[in-house]
Amino acid sequence: MPAIEVNGLSKRFGATLAVDDLSFSVEAGKIVGFLGPNGAGKTTTLRALLGLIRPTAGTTTIEGRPYADLDDPTGTVGAVLDGGMFHPGRSGHNHLRSIALAAGVATERVDELLELVSLGDAANRRAGGYSLGMRQRLGLAAALLGDPRVLVLDEPANGLDPQGIRWLRDFLRSLAAEGRAILVSSHVLSEVAQTVDEVVVIHRGRSIEQAPIGELLAGRGGGVRVAGPDAGRLADLLRADGAVVSDGHDGAIVIADRSGEQVGALIAANGIHISELASAGQTLEEVFFELTSDEQPETAGEEQAA
Amino acid sequence: MSGAIRSELVKLRTTRTFLGIVIATLGLIALLVGVIAAVAPFEPQETPGFDLVDTAGLAQPFALVLGLLAVSTEFRHGTITPTLLATPDRIRLMAAKLAAYGAAGLILGIVAYGLAALLMSVILPLRDISSELPFGDAVELVAGGVVCIALLTAIGVGFGAVVRNQVGAIIGGLAWMFMVEPLLTAIPTVGRWVEDYGLGGAISGVTGSGFGGEPAVGQVVGGLLLLAYAVLFAIAGALLMRRRDISA
Repeated sequence: MPAIEVNGLSKRFGATLAVDDLSFSVEAGKIVGFLGPNGAGKTTTLRALLGLIRPTAGTTTIEGRPYADLDDPTGTVGAVLDGGMFHPGRSGHNHLRSIALAAGVATERVDELLELVSLGDAANRRAGGYSLGMRQRLGLAAALLGDPRVLVLDEPANGLDPQGIRWLRDFLRSLAAEGRAILVSSHVLSEVAQTVDEVVVIHRGRSIEQAPIGELLAGRGGGVRVAGPDAGRLADLLRADGAVVSDGHDGAIVIADRSGEQVGALIAANGIHISELASAGQTLEEVFFELTSDEQPETAGEEQAA
Repeated sequence: MSGAIRSELVKLRTTRTFLGIVIATLGLIALLVGVIAAVAPFEPQETPGFDLVDTAGLAQPFALVLGLLAVSTEFRHGTITPTLLATPDRIRLMAAKLAAYGAAGLILGIVAYGLAALLMSVILPLRDISSELPFGDAVELVAGGVVCIALLTAIGVGFGAVVRNQVGAIIGGLAWMFMVEPLLTAIPTVGRWVEDYGLGGAISGVTGSGFGGEPAVGQVVGGLLLLAYAVLFAIAGALLMRRRDISA
């Protein structure tokens, strides 16, 4: 049984079909990136999964049951969603305490989590004065109160500085290593590319791809950039082999559908002189862009509905 | 269930808004009772105790506002999301809010009437004016007043869940109490009915202190009428909550 299963989910807000027959699943121990441009229906999907939004059609289950039917929701799934989630006049400690009481979680756990997300010193200050990073961490602490087996995070990297994103990445990795299933949404692929095992790409409310991140790249371009005096000769050899090669800046070439190892072997076998071989960092981003840029994304989706 | 109620009580106590409402309520009552008891020109044979304690009824609109904030504040700040994640059963959540806020209203009412009674019984004797208040009258006055304040808080909870927008809920609630009902009373027949059995009529009944003469309903009927309003709004609020998409 998957930790998270979304089956034929549709949600209509007035004239807008925010989510359209969407299906995907998340297995325990995996981090799945839920990707799509703003307005693609990510937030609506996550809120439906958590019982906050009534689907127009389809079902969403966590460990086989709808959210509302879970015996111990807080101990099963934790969520960080967009949009405040706390009262600016209430301290972080009191915010977590109110949730812990409703969830039947021991209040000692509140202090434990505040320490875990490095908010111990700010615990008794009004949360309205917290920085963006502190707010995100307060949200994470709330999500982890019940020590849940499943985590759902909506754009957790939003507004975080590079250190914050790195902290988040390591944190999510350690949580997944403990066997938790994590579904993390983002509209910026690079934020989550290094964190996730798999991606679900949605656009205009429909799933257009669910694949391990490696496979997503494989079919569309290993993305290897080669520069050097013999780059032109290498390009000819690769083209003769049927590879997709394009010319980059300064005489460099970019091979879309070969791995670094494959290109390296060819270089060694032919005694080609190069100065640089690197995986093109942009390529993953380009794949994402290609998948989601058939038209301008509809702005009347989740953002306006929210 | 008790966890959800305790959670609501923590949420209620841990914002400045709550503290502000309590201080404003008690401050206003203390000021009015204190000043009237200290300087009003009473005749020596008068017994103004009843009217002075009755001043605690000023807590009524504050109690309504307190209740109106229960749900509307959660929507305003988006805390409704973590609240519903911890308590997904929305009917249960509304029941917990009603219990917590009803209790808070009850305590606010007891403190308000206690404060008015205390000030009255301390200040009047200093002026050699009788602070006498027959026991039976006192029980009726305080019991009715406290029940009224608790039920108004509960009515606010239901009304706030129906309206949801914080400013709209507060303006709507107070306007209904102080403007809409008084205006409706100008209409023939219907107006009479509103005056006797509307929110104002029910409050007059349960507290036994109507503005324009004797209330049309007695204390028990007035209390039951208020309870009926509270139940009606609670059901409407809970049903609407259950249907609502929580998008922020």
